[in-house]
Amino acid sequence: MDLLNLLEQLTAASGVSGSENSIAAVAQELLTPYCDTVEQRQGNVIGILGERQSGKPHVLLDAHMDQVGFLVTAITEDGFVRVGNAGGLDCRFMPAQRVVIHGKQDIAGVICCMPPHLQNGEEHVLSVTELAIDTGYTKEELEQLVEAGDTVSFDMPLVPLQSDFVCSRSLDDRCGMASILYALFLIQGEELPCSCSILFSTQEETSERGATIGAYDIEPDIALAVDVTFALEHNGDATKCGSMGKGPMIGISPSLSRKVTDDLIAAADAEKIAWQPEVMSGRTGTNADCFSVTKGGVCAGTVSIPLRYMHTPAEVIQISDVKKNGELLAAYLRRCGTC
Amino acid sequence: MLNHFETLCNLCASSGDESEVRNYILSVLRERKDVTWEIDPLGSLLVQKQGKKRAPHKLMISAHMDEVGMIVTHVNSDSTYCLEAVGGVDASVALGRQVLVGEEHLHGVIGTKPVHLLSADEKKKLPKWDELVLDMGILPEAERRTAAREGTYVYFAPNFTRMGKSRVCSKAIDDRAGCAMLLHLLEQEAPYDFTAAFLVQEEIGLRGAKAAAYTVNPEFALVLEATTAADIAGAEGDAKVCSLGEGPVISFMDRGAIYDKELYRLAFSICEKNKIPCQTKSRIAGGNDSGAIHASRGGVRTLAISLPCRYLHSPSCLADLKDLDACTALLPLLIKSIMEEVSSI
Repeated sequence: MDLLNLLEQLTAASGVSGSENSIAAVAQELLTPYCDTVEQRQGNVIGILGERQSGKPHVLLDAHMDQVGFLVTAITEDGFVRVGNAGGLDCRFMPAQRVVIHGKQDIAGVICCMPPHLQNGEEHVLSVTELAIDTGYTKEELEQLVEAGDTVSFDMPLVPLQSDFVCSRSLDDRCGMASILYALFLIQGEELPCSCSILFSTQEETSERGATIGAYDIEPDIALAVDVTFALEHNGDATKCGSMGKGPMIGISPSLSRKVTDDLIAAADAEKIAWQPEVMSGRTGTNADCFSVTKGGVCAGTVSIPLRYMHTPAEVIQISDVKKNGELLAAYLRRCGTC
Repeated sequence: MLNHFETLCNLCASSGDESEVRNYILSVLRERKDVTWEIDPLGSLLVQKQGKKRAPHKLMISAHMDEVGMIVTHVNSDSTYCLEAVGGVDASVALGRQVLVGEEHLHGVIGTKPVHLLSADEKKKLPKWDELVLDMGILPEAERRTAAREGTYVYFAPNFTRMGKSRVCSKAIDDRAGCAMLLHLLEQEAPYDFTAAFLVQEEIGLRGAKAAAYTVNPEFALVLEATTAADIAGAEGDAKVCSLGEGPVISFMDRGAIYDKELYRLAFSICEKNKIPCQTKSRIAGGNDSGAIHASRGGVRTLAISLPCRYLHSPSCLADLKDLDACTALLPLLIKSIMEEVSSI
């Protein structure tokens, strides 16, 4: 499986929280070869693999489809677009960034900034409500194309960096989706001690709503949130971050099932897959937070891919981490016991 | 001309190594019989264009080939690279941008200290260059200096895009717009001889212009540029400085030069007579090669004709092609008037 190509397909499709139709179509197509059934339900894409049987756990593998971005809030008198954020954004990265407004058609835009020649020394990091998008259109032209509620995504294609690093928008959490697809590719045709549901969920960045309703329907015994986590960056703190290239981070937290965590670690060790611990003292900031309290309670775990520049237009991952993450998920599914 | 403009914008040439742009211009000039050229010691390309008639006044028309960019200053032990800006680039517009590195155009991205380690106050502070790094992924120590080393140039990734009905957004519109206008002039028949100077190192202090103006020794100079438009959301009145869609910008003064009054008035009257839109700048800000050229040797009568451009010195400069057309319409008329109507002083 060509993971670079897979990541290109996944990041090229847009899906700002709440408007995941484009990425959902791509996800459904990519998931179909590996599942017995695949359907879209309330925006979520759900694939089922294997028959649910008593005595065998039903495992949910989740990655969220949505990406951080903006929603259009208004068109100004002078023809610029005002926005609100969907998900948390690092506003330091916004001046002069290129965006796409998903209006009646896709419209290219750039976030306004003041050139150094005209600055007065009082500039600060603009908050989201202070940002304005320039599309080159007049107010009247824009009103034919854009309305409040349209989503805005970053215009940042996937490019390969050195070694097997890549940079793109929305690698959070398209790389999680890629690692699940890779795991399914690895276990193709194998007899498993469990049945599985794959949940590519909506609205993680805003509310974990897709995961909440998806898990309610699926009723899993075990649920794994496959997401990203902070990788060590320049001037970062190595005690608080994962290292890139050293494999997936297995979550250890009071809110997660210690049994699932231990089984993940045992699976990684059994197949000699490099992994790193990610210790959290409470909630995980992933869909696992809603999985663990679905219905009467579900055994939840997290496996995360280290990622740099999270929630910016230019996120960076190492493809070997996606691969190892997929290998870990496959190793876990091959030997997962009941919880 | 639009083809030249797009191609030129997508090339990578920062101050000190303008060869990509120079080579492209040369590839066009080699097809022509009415031009001769020399490359000066700094790298400026000085082209002698033969017109139908000898010129009564020696005229130099210039544009600068260099764009703002970055340069690697240090290779860090964590496999990142320290950077400084080449020219006036705000760290804010470099952060999180995809870039091309060195002559091989390797891909990279500009990163900084992660947001989750910043205090609430730090999150509001604009990033500074000494906090930014070039990130190309993690490389073994032996390979780090092969990928980039001290002195390697880093460029904003090419991104020329059409926007709206007649607008374009790209890096390096400053001053590939001027290069495209000047190249277009060289491709037309000229009524009079003139010198076209494609200059180096404008962005780090008008250095190519200083040397070239000495060499060419003109009596008159026209500087073709892109200048800061601030007609953005919420801007009103003089704070707009100049506006897209309102034609070439003809300044009376900026931070580098006070322009020749007769030429200034001449340009406006030509525009009025020929129904070409034009405007001036409502703030005295910025500067261009005129600053070096107008004070060269015993003085050169100088005027700058600029394309209004938003978000200058960012990877997303935005300009209107109607303004580029208006500049192109004005230039031959202005040249003719300088030759035929203006007397030497």
